Amino acid sequence: MISTKKRFVQLFVSALVLLLIAACSSNGGNNAPSNSNEPASPAKTAEPAATDTAAKPVEITWWNFPNFQALDGEVGKFEKQIIEAFNKKHPEITVKLEMLTFDGGPEKLNVAIATNTAPDVIYDAPGRIIDWGKKNLLVPLNDMFTQETLNDISPSLMQLSSAGDQIYMYPFNTGPFMMAVNKTLFEDIGALDLLPLDRPDRTWTVAEYEAALRAVKEKAPDVIPSGFFAKSQAGDQGTRGYLTNLGLTTFLNEDNSAVAINSESGVKGLEWLLQAAEDGLVAPGAASLAASDHNDLFLQGKMAFAINYSAVLKAQFAPNKTVEFEDVLLPYPTPDGSDPKLEPFIGGLAVFNNKNEDKIAASKTFIDFLVNDPEWSKKALIQTGGLSARNSVTGLYEGSEYEYSELARNFITNPPVTADGYAEIRTYWFPALQQTLLKVATPQQALDEFAQKANDAIAKAKASLNK
Amino acid sequence: MIAAARKSRPRFKREWITSYIFLLPALAFFIMFVAYPMLRGIYMSFFDYTLTSFEFIGFDNYRTLYEDKNFHKSMWNTIKLVVVGVPIVIIFSIFVAMTIYKKHESVRSLFRGIFYLPAVTSVVSVTVVWGWIYHPNYGVLNYLTGIFGAEPISWLGEPKTALWAITAILVTTSVGQPIILYVAALGNIPISYIEAAQIDRATPGQIFRKIIWPMLMPTNLYVIVITTINTFQCFSLIQLLTSGGPIYSTSTVMYGVYEQAFQFGNFGLASAMGIVLAVIIGIISIIQFKFLGSDVEY
Repeated sequence: MISTKKRFVQLFVSALVLLLIAACSSNGGNNAPSNSNEPASPAKTAEPAATDTAAKPVEITWWNFPNFQALDGEVGKFEKQIIEAFNKKHPEITVKLEMLTFDGGPEKLNVAIATNTAPDVIYDAPGRIIDWGKKNLLVPLNDMFTQETLNDISPSLMQLSSAGDQIYMYPFNTGPFMMAVNKTLFEDIGALDLLPLDRPDRTWTVAEYEAALRAVKEKAPDVIPSGFFAKSQAGDQGTRGYLTNLGLTTFLNEDNSAVAINSESGVKGLEWLLQAAEDGLVAPGAASLAASDHNDLFLQGKMAFAINYSAVLKAQFAPNKTVEFEDVLLPYPTPDGSDPKLEPFIGGLAVFNNKNEDKIAASKTFIDFLVNDPEWSKKALIQTGGLSARNSVTGLYEGSEYEYSELARNFITNPPVTADGYAEIRTYWFPALQQTLLKVATPQQALDEFAQKANDAIAKAKASLNK
Repeated sequence: MIAAARKSRPRFKREWITSYIFLLPALAFFIMFVAYPMLRGIYMSFFDYTLTSFEFIGFDNYRTLYEDKNFHKSMWNTIKLVVVGVPIVIIFSIFVAMTIYKKHESVRSLFRGIFYLPAVTSVVSVTVVWGWIYHPNYGVLNYLTGIFGAEPISWLGEPKTALWAITAILVTTSVGQPIILYVAALGNIPISYIEAAQIDRATPGQIFRKIIWPMLMPTNLYVIVITTINTFQCFSLIQLLTSGGPIYSTSTVMYGVYEQAFQFGNFGLASAMGIVLAVIIGIISIIQFKFLGSDVEY
């Protein structure tokens, strides 16, 4: 009896000790490096091509933001269908899907990278992907591109998908970020002629835009003419695009080596916004509004113009409308009505370097299926609501807004998202806007302070990359 | 007799060992989820721990915090929250408890339920409701102040009002537990003490100061320490309502830890912030125990 008891106690203690050791040591995943504190080391070059995938079973993880519209209202349902179709061709590769949210996803990715538990495949945008690529956390995808493919994708999109010579993101869907107007409201107040919808390229001046805002204020006093937001980083491409076009300037200089928005033109753009806010043409409390609050006001029919819209977002937002109205895309106005400069939305896929050749090869096979399969690449693209990154793939959708979105690709400019230190730069942008909106600083002071911090961040990032 | 004692000694030892073995699971969980993360946090605070580096830098993270204006602002905001929020919670809880503890059981339960509701409701739901109450365009609060002719205010968007708007929510979500504890503590005070004082013509103020307050000291100590710690660690309200803004006017140290670690990927700096906060909470708790715990007998 005593010996049984003793054995039980010994077993119990051993099990506990094992449990403790297992819990306190580095994670046990077979893709984990030996020391959990050490971030993933630099990617090796020349990974095997997608076609070299061995037929032995491999399991990969795919983390996805809600890039595809929810099928039947179920987030992740379409992704599961893609995986099912992929498994018919590649039964040896198991794809484990995990859905992220736009709010918490970036944080989850940061923690996963720092603890060596990053997924194998991620579908995201260059803002984060190229930053990871520069930090050697990703596998270059150069071997996935034939010359024919490269010729079919615009050089600016390829530039946004690369850091130096290495391609880190396989671009898939795109479209310019713009603003939108509640066309139904303008029809109701009899002011449709104030919108530039009769012009094929819909370009317009700041004065015309202001006249439209004033018409809303006068004829529909219950509706807020326009919005702005500066609560957090989310949706900052909207505030950047809006202000740079209002002042006809750029956010960074041509080679992304310094801030340009603190120029005289940039300050003028911000001053216009402040004056509009004082005149009651902008939703109050913009300093504490998030991009989602701003979108909600528009989708609830309480605001006439939204400053952060695209064909992709239009499709994504459709189920969130609480009142029926026609939302129409518009370019940002410029002081003289010249062509606007629109930052593109680009979604693409990347592979984390988890130091497992089989997983890397399987991940590339999966990406190749998603972006190049004759049947599913088209289905997936339509499900994003975006345009194809390929020049040869057009006419996916019917409707004037998609046609206009195709046309507005002519206005696409190089966004600052691939600048060195961009991740840090954007953390200074919204506090600068808050300072201005709350009149703690003048537009010039706030933009100069932003420029100083952002330029330091660029210099620091360049120095650390040269190490 | 001595022989019997000798006989039972090995048995006593066995029981002693067995009882400690039964404590081992709790110890294992404590080590895994409390002690190890704490020690790891201290260790990490001496490293430049980002997405791509893990380099020993000594006290550099602490030096950065010493010079960081945003951290100073966050610390100052946290202190303001504690200094204003905790006394309000304590005074309001005692006031409510004193008012309801003599009432009929059903009335007492009703009020306890009402005040405890925000504590058991999900923080997300509570903040969504408060977000709408404070909404600059469609909020109930601006509607009510508008009746008296006041201009609409962006309660969470103005640096002057944002922190106090957060404090008001924090108070409503914090009073539930203290009220229940105070009602229970007041119920345990022998009525004969109060009656004796009344016979001696003691005023209600004297009865409260000389009898009720000293008898509430054990509850006070617990409520003050726990409310102070919870207020120091205020995070979710801020993350959900203001993200620390505008211009860091509602940023607290806990929000700063989250921002540095999960948004900016500076895990070493975030750990250092966490350690500084833990040390401050520790010091304040020791002071509270010293001044409030001297009369407490358990």
